[in-house]
Amino acid sequence: MRRVWIIAQREYLERVRTRSFIVSTFATPLLMGIFLLLPALIAASTARGIVRDDARAARIVIASDNRALAELACGDLMRQRGARYEPSVVSPASPSEREKLDKRLDAGEIEGYVWLDGPARASRHVVFATARAGDFVLQRRLGDALSYALAAQRMVKQGSSAGDVAATLQPVDLTVVRAGSSLSEYNEMRGAMVVLILVFVMFFSLLSYGVMVMRSVMEEKSSRVTEVLLCAASAQELMTGKILGTGSVGLTQVAAWLAMAAFGASRSLYLRTAIEALDVGPSLIVYFAVFYVLGYLLYSTIFAGVGAIFNSIDEAQQWNFVVILPLIAASAMILPVATSSDSLSSVAASLFPFCSPILMFERIAVHDPPRWQVALSMLLLVATIGAAMSIGGRIYRTGILMYGKRPTIRELSRWLRYP
Amino acid sequence: MTPTVELRGVRKSYGGYAAVDGLSFEIPPAHIFGLLGPNGAGKTSTIRMMIGIIAPDSGCVRIFGGPIRRRALSRVGYLPEERGLYRRMTVGDNLVFLGRLAGLSAAAARERIDAWTRRLETADWIDRRVEELSKGMQQKIQFVAALLHDPGLIVMDEPFAGLDPVNTMQLKDVLVGLRAAGKSILFSTHRIDQVEKLCDSICLIDRGKSVLQGSLSGIKSGNGRRFVQIDYEGDGGCLAGHPLIDSLNDYGNHAEVRLKPGADPQELLRTAMRGLRVTRFQVMEPSLEQIFIDRIAGRDD
Repeated sequence: MRRVWIIAQREYLERVRTRSFIVSTFATPLLMGIFLLLPALIAASTARGIVRDDARAARIVIASDNRALAELACGDLMRQRGARYEPSVVSPASPSEREKLDKRLDAGEIEGYVWLDGPARASRHVVFATARAGDFVLQRRLGDALSYALAAQRMVKQGSSAGDVAATLQPVDLTVVRAGSSLSEYNEMRGAMVVLILVFVMFFSLLSYGVMVMRSVMEEKSSRVTEVLLCAASAQELMTGKILGTGSVGLTQVAAWLAMAAFGASRSLYLRTAIEALDVGPSLIVYFAVFYVLGYLLYSTIFAGVGAIFNSIDEAQQWNFVVILPLIAASAMILPVATSSDSLSSVAASLFPFCSPILMFERIAVHDPPRWQVALSMLLLVATIGAAMSIGGRIYRTGILMYGKRPTIRELSRWLRYP
Repeated sequence: MTPTVELRGVRKSYGGYAAVDGLSFEIPPAHIFGLLGPNGAGKTSTIRMMIGIIAPDSGCVRIFGGPIRRRALSRVGYLPEERGLYRRMTVGDNLVFLGRLAGLSAAAARERIDAWTRRLETADWIDRRVEELSKGMQQKIQFVAALLHDPGLIVMDEPFAGLDPVNTMQLKDVLVGLRAAGKSILFSTHRIDQVEKLCDSICLIDRGKSVLQGSLSGIKSGNGRRFVQIDYEGDGGCLAGHPLIDSLNDYGNHAEVRLKPGADPQELLRTAMRGLRVTRFQVMEPSLEQIFIDRIAGRDD
């Protein structure tokens, strides 16, 4: 145990002292903070007139032979929350007008026009010609505005009063309440953000610290330090010390980030409300820690084995990819799991031990999955870690003493059978 | 006295290829032992079994009179063939780490590091990173690392590789001092001149098998004294066809003779004196190198 401790200690101190560790520890929350604060800062300064937002409001022309209808749509577009649109009306809609609009669009004088002539109204199939084809928010709002205008005009024709129309067509405001949440209101965007931040931290930590273990094994192997160490300690002690030492570096980093968040919250009201709104309960942090540690143990063990097989990073590159593959698959599942956390595919992926540190944690963060599924995923994960340690340990033990030619699969399987 | 190292019929093979094939030898205390052989002879595998890195397939390896155990291994100092230090760490940090791993407290390690680096004139390098050091310097630091915990058995793979003559002498003096202090030292090398000056006994291995072993003087006398040079006046023809002579090069007043195995040079001297006026008669010591080449190439009879 003393030797494991000494090895872990060296590994830890060496890594914590590196410039890259210090930079990534401070730069990541800084970037994240800027990312969180910037929109708010800009909004606040714009409101006070300190900064003028130069982003141009979208100039949209609604061309229709029915001027009243076009004006209704314009009005609705202006009313929408946070709208930055400059709609105008062209009426009547004649082919020569259309040519003119096309020219203005080409010249960049307008951002788009809606062609709402008689046939379009009848078929409810409207063309929107735009230079901002990627602005899906604009498109959705424009669609809403047109639907509103058509409905309102019809209601007026049928004899409804203006007040009636407004009351009938007022959009529904949806408030999402999460089951079991301490907050009565659940903010969809913030909820998604906390999950994304934590899952992001999990993904990159597993990856970077796993690779760190691999590099460290390779470095010792190629510098022949391993031989000297093996004279004083067993291969198992070496591997254990290395994994624990490097893992502690990862935990230190995450802890430093938590401390910085707490410090930031104590200093800045905005940050405090932002963090409180994230609604991270103590149980979620515990789950994060558990899945983080288990996931790290699994991947670092595998990476230690990979490091022992190869002689250089270049050589390991392609096999590295095989190890990372489940992590990439897990990251591709992050969004589907967030939207339907109880679907069969989400459940299956979150039970798969190579993905469960990320996906089961995500499911816990998004929505309480059944207890048995959480327990099963942990059980499977622990069993897989056990298997990985047994296999990885055997490969490590033999591989660290083999130089030169890369072993074949057959040789690797022989390594596993050595007593 | 219990031998420090004892190998009995040790065998180790990798996937059908026997790296070490039935090797036996002993190293007594206060003894410098040379493990010799060409590249790929099985030296590294033998050393690895002695320091517990790998286990033999069959046969037995004992150190300090017992089987290989962690406790016994903590009394072994090992110097690998290539540098085995962390390149990015300072010399001091490397040494403290290795010293602690070998069982010393950090303070005790520092004290000994100080003493050794001063003795080997490397104290100025203690705060440098290993990667800044020359190969020879690294070798000296590695040497200190192997000796820090005062091991009873010191195993060195090519300890003089990359060292200049001054440093070689310095390390040689240290090794001789350690032997005087009762330590057993094994080193593997293919540099035969160093073996000749330092070793008490040797084992020559080839393809995993012992080809020749024993004390240095024994080997020389057993294999040697077969080359004789004679300066003479008279008719050298009387030597031709002598039953003790294996081969003869006669230059008229100088002859080089190779005796048959087991022949006594005194016998030849007597014969020569009977027929010739001998001005010089010298039994040549064979060089170890010659013996090795003969053995390895299988030309010995």
